[in-house]
Amino acid sequence: MTKPFHWVLVAAGTAASPAFATQYLSAEQAQALMFPEATAFRRQDLTLTTAQMQQVEKLAGVAARSVNWRVVAALKSDATIGYVVLDDVIGKFELISYAVGLNPDGSVRQVEILNYRESHGAEIRNPAWRRQFVGKRAQGGIAVGEGIANISGATLSCTHVTDGVRRIAAIGQAVLAR
Amino acid sequence: MIRRAQPLLGTLVEVTLASDENPQAFAAAFAEVALIHRLMSFHDGDSDVSRFNRTPVGTLIKVDAHTWEVLALADRIAVASDGCFNVACAPALVEWHYLPPPSPDAPRYVPKQRVYELGQKGLVRKTASSWIDLGGIAKGYAVDAAITALKRLGVSHACVNAGGDLRVIGEAPWYVAVRHPLRPGMPGASVSLRNEALATSGIYFTVTQLGQHGDVSPLVDGRSGRPVIAPRSASVLAPSCTLADALTKVVTACQGVQHPCLATFGATAFLI
Repeated sequence: MTKPFHWVLVAAGTAASPAFATQYLSAEQAQALMFPEATAFRRQDLTLTTAQMQQVEKLAGVAARSVNWRVVAALKSDATIGYVVLDDVIGKFELISYAVGLNPDGSVRQVEILNYRESHGAEIRNPAWRRQFVGKRAQGGIAVGEGIANISGATLSCTHVTDGVRRIAAIGQAVLAR
Repeated sequence: MIRRAQPLLGTLVEVTLASDENPQAFAAAFAEVALIHRLMSFHDGDSDVSRFNRTPVGTLIKVDAHTWEVLALADRIAVASDGCFNVACAPALVEWHYLPPPSPDAPRYVPKQRVYELGQKGLVRKTASSWIDLGGIAKGYAVDAAITALKRLGVSHACVNAGGDLRVIGEAPWYVAVRHPLRPGMPGASVSLRNEALATSGIYFTVTQLGQHGDVSPLVDGRSGRPVIAPRSASVLAPSCTLADALTKVVTACQGVQHPCLATFGATAFLI
């Protein structure tokens, strides 16, 4: 036997919609992490045409979902060395903001989660509630309680993020690749 | 504390470091998890698992040393747990729509059946028509691989958490909240950890009704091939996350913490 370990049963609270949340990186931090060699970043948002939307759907095997995409070009001495695409996905209980770094040929360079927010109440479907977390700067906290920094539990699937990365990879290939 | 997360192993994998003094640490930890994901994914057609699943019975195939290690430990746990844990339960998970069919032959799950035989390191022979899924052990193994990479870099205080299966480095305690299975947005217990691993399994995110099958979940009781439907979650504390992850399946199947294989592997457990 190993040494006995310490665990304490916690009484469930009475909050209406308790939530776990973590902020990992700001969009700016993610950009710098993905393209450390970049000398500048330039916002270069995309609006997909109907033909591009169809192409993205065909390549990704998932719905293109949105016409407008938040894209930042990574520059080195005026040359584009890649892109960062910013997106949010909503699961059954979770809102996840993430960034996908793309190489100039459209291939995926890196994926980083920016922000994770979970709710077991009704607000996860409420656009106003969701908006307050989009693009929020990292503060490095977790709303679990003093000193608690990790959660153990049944695995929460992140299919929405995986589909989202596939969609952005298709946008990279169909629209951004050179 | 500095935290980063990436989508890997079908969930979010989170790495927490005490400081950013070693800039290679995050990249090294995530690279290990990504490697294990590539080798052991059920969904990726090029993984060792997929190649095994497509291979005809009797064939000897070469797998990565990591995959071989996991298969060896899975075999030991299957025997020690009287078949509660069995990586050959993938046909049941396919039947219940949790996994896509990897080949058209549709094998049935046979409780306690051993479907592979290990040869020399890196070699494995398929001995029965079946599919394997390492989803009940590979997350833990990936956490251990990431922890090993961090230790190699001299990191002395860190946590790697793959969707609820986690391991910590450090003598100073790490406090971990365990989700309450009936109110998953709330902590049901808190645990302090030092240089050890904790994994939890429960059905609360994944239980569903499936026509003639009734309620199903992705946790299979290997002894019967039936889904675990009991609402309590099982948490296992063990020296490694591979063990903790796999042994949660034994505790969920038994809905008890008395199975002797826990002590065999130096683990303890609790249900909430």
